[in-house]
Amino acid sequence: MSLYTAATLAAGRLFPSAEEIPFDDQGYTTVDPILPPWKELIPGSLASIIVFSLLYWKAGPIIKKSFRDRTAGVQKQLDDSAAAKAAAEADAVRIREAKGDIEAERARLFAEADAQAEALLADGRARLDVEMAELEARAEADIGAAAGRGTDELRAEIARHSGVAVDRIIRDTLDDAAQQDLIETFIARVGASTGASS
Amino acid sequence: MSDAMIEGYARALFEVARAEGTLDEVEDELFRFARSYESSDSLRAALTDEHIPAEKRQAIVEDLLGGKTTTTTIQLVSMVVGSGRSRDIPAIVDSLVARASSAKQLDVAEVRTAVALTDDQRARLKAALENATGKSINLKTVVDPSVVGGVVATIGDTVIDDTVRTRIEQLKSRL
Repeated sequence: MSLYTAATLAAGRLFPSAEEIPFDDQGYTTVDPILPPWKELIPGSLASIIVFSLLYWKAGPIIKKSFRDRTAGVQKQLDDSAAAKAAAEADAVRIREAKGDIEAERARLFAEADAQAEALLADGRARLDVEMAELEARAEADIGAAAGRGTDELRAEIARHSGVAVDRIIRDTLDDAAQQDLIETFIARVGASTGASS
Repeated sequence: MSDAMIEGYARALFEVARAEGTLDEVEDELFRFARSYESSDSLRAALTDEHIPAEKRQAIVEDLLGGKTTTTTIQLVSMVVGSGRSRDIPAIVDSLVARASSAKQLDVAEVRTAVALTDDQRARLKAALENATGKSINLKTVVDPSVVGGVVATIGDTVIDDTVRTRIEQLKSRL
C-alpha cells in the first residue's frame, strides 16, 4: 500500500464522508453545536498544531526579529524624540533668555532714547531761549542803530544843506570891500602878534 | 622824477636866473606860474600831453607868459616843458624858491588870498609875518579863489589860517 493510499485511508477515517454526517430537513448538523465532531476535532487540532508549530519554527524568528527591529526603531524614535525635546527645551530656554535679554535691551534703549530726547529737548529749549534773547537784543540794537542812523543821516543832510547855504550866502556877501577888510584884519592881527600861531 | 633830478633842474634854473641878474623877478614869476599850473587842470593837461609835440607845448607857454613875464622866465619854463618835465614844474619851482630864499637867508612865506594883494598890502603883510615869526621872509603870494576870503600864510611848518573857507569848514564840521 502506497503512502498515498494510506493517507487517503487515514483521511477517510479522520474525515467522514458526507453520507456519514447527520442530515435532516434543515441540512447537515453536528452533534455538538459548539465543538465539531471528534473526527474533525482531532485532525483539525493536529493540523493546527502542526501549522502553528511550523509557523512558530519558521516564521517565529522572523516575526521576533521584526518585532525587535520595530521595537528598536520605536525606541530610536523615542530616543530621537527625547533628544529633540531636550534640544527644543534648551532652545526654548535660550529663546526665553534671549527674549529676556531683548526685553531688557529694549527697555534700556527706550530709557536711553528717552533720556537723549529729554536732553535734546532741554538743549533745544535752552538754545532757543538764547537765540531768542540774541534776536531780541539784535533787533533792539538794529532798531536803535536805524534810529541813530536816521538821525545821523538827517543831521548830515541838514548840515550839508546848511553848509551849502552858508557857502552860497558868504560868497554872495563877500564883495571887494569885505575881501579887503578880511585881508587888513589878517595883517593887523598877525602884525600884533609876536610869536608864530597856527 | 627823483629828488636829485628835481634839485638838478632847480639848481640850473637858479644859476641861469642869477647869472641873468633877474633872480627875484624870475623866482616870483616861476612861483606864480607853478601855482597856476597846479590849479589849472586844462593847463596841466596841455603841458603834460605826450601826444602834443614839445614845440607846441612850448608855444603854449610862450603864448601864456609872453608879455607878462621876463624872457628868462619864459625860456626857463619852455626848457622844462621841452625836456618833458612838465609834471615836475611845481616841485622844481618850489626847490628853486627854497634855494633862492636860502641864498638870501630868507624863509619862504606862501600867502594865499581870494583876491590879489596890493603892493602896500604885500609890504605890510611881509612886515607883519616877519614880526610874528621873527624871521626874514621871502613873501610869495598866490591868488586862490578856493580860500573864498581872508588869508592863509604858510611859513615852513607854520600855518596862519584866517580864511573864510576854513571858517566855513569849521562851521560845517560843527553842524
